[in-house]
Amino acid sequence: MTTLLLQLLLNALALGAAYALIALGFVLVLNATSAVNFAQGDMVMAGGYVAIALAAVLPLPGIALLPVVAVLMAALGALLSLLAYFPLIGRPPVAVFISTIALGVMLEGSANAIFGAEPRAAPALVGAGAIELAGIHLPYQRLAIVALASLLILLQHLLFAKTQLGRRLRAVAQDREMARALGIAAAPLIAGTFALGTGLAGAAGLLLANEWFVTPTEGTNYILKAYIAVTIGGWGSVPGAVVGALLVALFEVGVSSALSYSVATALLYAAVLAILFFRPQGIFGEAAQARA
Amino acid sequence: MTLLSVERLSVGEGAFLALDEVSLSLGRGEALALLGANGAGKTTLLRALVGLAPVRSGTIRIDGEDVTRLPPERRARLGIGYVPEGRRVFPGMSVRDNLEVAAREGAAARRRLLAEVYELFPDLAAREETAAWQLSGGQQQMLAIGRALMTRPKLLLLDEPSLGLAPKLAAELFARIATIAEGGTAVLLAEQNVARAARVASRAVLLRLGRVIAEGDAAALAASPELHDAFFGA
Repeated sequence: MTTLLLQLLLNALALGAAYALIALGFVLVLNATSAVNFAQGDMVMAGGYVAIALAAVLPLPGIALLPVVAVLMAALGALLSLLAYFPLIGRPPVAVFISTIALGVMLEGSANAIFGAEPRAAPALVGAGAIELAGIHLPYQRLAIVALASLLILLQHLLFAKTQLGRRLRAVAQDREMARALGIAAAPLIAGTFALGTGLAGAAGLLLANEWFVTPTEGTNYILKAYIAVTIGGWGSVPGAVVGALLVALFEVGVSSALSYSVATALLYAAVLAILFFRPQGIFGEAAQARA
Repeated sequence: MTLLSVERLSVGEGAFLALDEVSLSLGRGEALALLGANGAGKTTLLRALVGLAPVRSGTIRIDGEDVTRLPPERRARLGIGYVPEGRRVFPGMSVRDNLEVAAREGAAARRRLLAEVYELFPDLAAREETAAWQLSGGQQQMLAIGRALMTRPKLLLLDEPSLGLAPKLAAELFARIATIAEGGTAVLLAEQNVARAARVASRAVLLRLGRVIAEGDAAALAASPELHDAFFGA
């Protein structure tokens, strides 16, 4: 029984770590622009396909492809900001909702045209196999997902907390006009935030696309998970997004192993409604207030 | 030599003119008080200098270079340091991060600048890890000034720095501003408290309804009938 629980916990951790990257990228863009980037889920999907396309020319394990996928996806993120965000500055926030949804639909259509609707799998991160530890089966793939996602989250944290670039990114997010008045060029930093957020989504795409496959339409599923994670964690809170993502995955894996995946999904939405009703600021709501 | 020269500057949108052909100039290391009641156009003038208000006509020059159409970040890099109305510190960032983010130098030079600001405002050094939103109003004001100094400005624009502060704190703050001005940084100080402004700046410009109505020695202006009119109406 304990063995089974530990096994489920590792599954939840692996899934949650990947969700955390998606939610983190989402919340960084949200904080920098107040814009809800609905293309974030489709960027996960795109990251999966970029990994598959790369693997066709560079037959390497996923871990070696990861930096390339992240950089290519970051470039796509900068492009996203140029197409769907900058032209709409000064318009109501709903304009960016729609432009990012539109861009997501275009990505979905392109993926369908290029790769087809069949589920595809990206290469494994380090190869098949598992560690057996005190009777517990620990697949390399899942351990590697947890390790790589944790590393990326740590790197993001260090970038924002310890570097001058990170300070500038935060300053632009908190008061763009004031940051500019201090000599900080805001536009490249905002494009950079989109690049970073999309790079994280793309990395998540590669991490997920081996075990859970990738299909052109799965972006919707991921943006919903990220949105729920950020709602649970506290709108705008960076640690909240990570914790929220882990909770979403824990809930999903726990309930679907006991009951079924559909029940898990239904209960997840019910739980979100309950949180919105009883604690609308989320778990880390304070941080979001301090930001305003 | 003239550091800042403003010629016939008009600012406003639509039919409304917040500033109407305002001209003034400021030499290197000079301190100038910008006096006037609420709504006289002090904040608008400072925002226009920084590049945050829509200029309709006229020119702004820094060191002879026309900056009227430059974006705020380019002007800041030419030496304008801005301390806005309401302080506008970055609320979620620590005191130290608020200061460091404004510096353009490498880590070593940044630490030297930080030490200078901490020397001027020891209260900030004591709270360097505190999030800015948790500071008192006076400390936030010191932080906003310190942050502007981290950019090593040639010209410091201060928008009513004593607003909302207790008199004792305000007096202390003005003593520090005087220190900054004596150190050779030019200061343009928007202020409603004329006596206080006159302690920092020897020269003053008096604004009323977006126009310059008097200009000259700050102490003399403080006693003039124009000043009375500017605050209480003719």
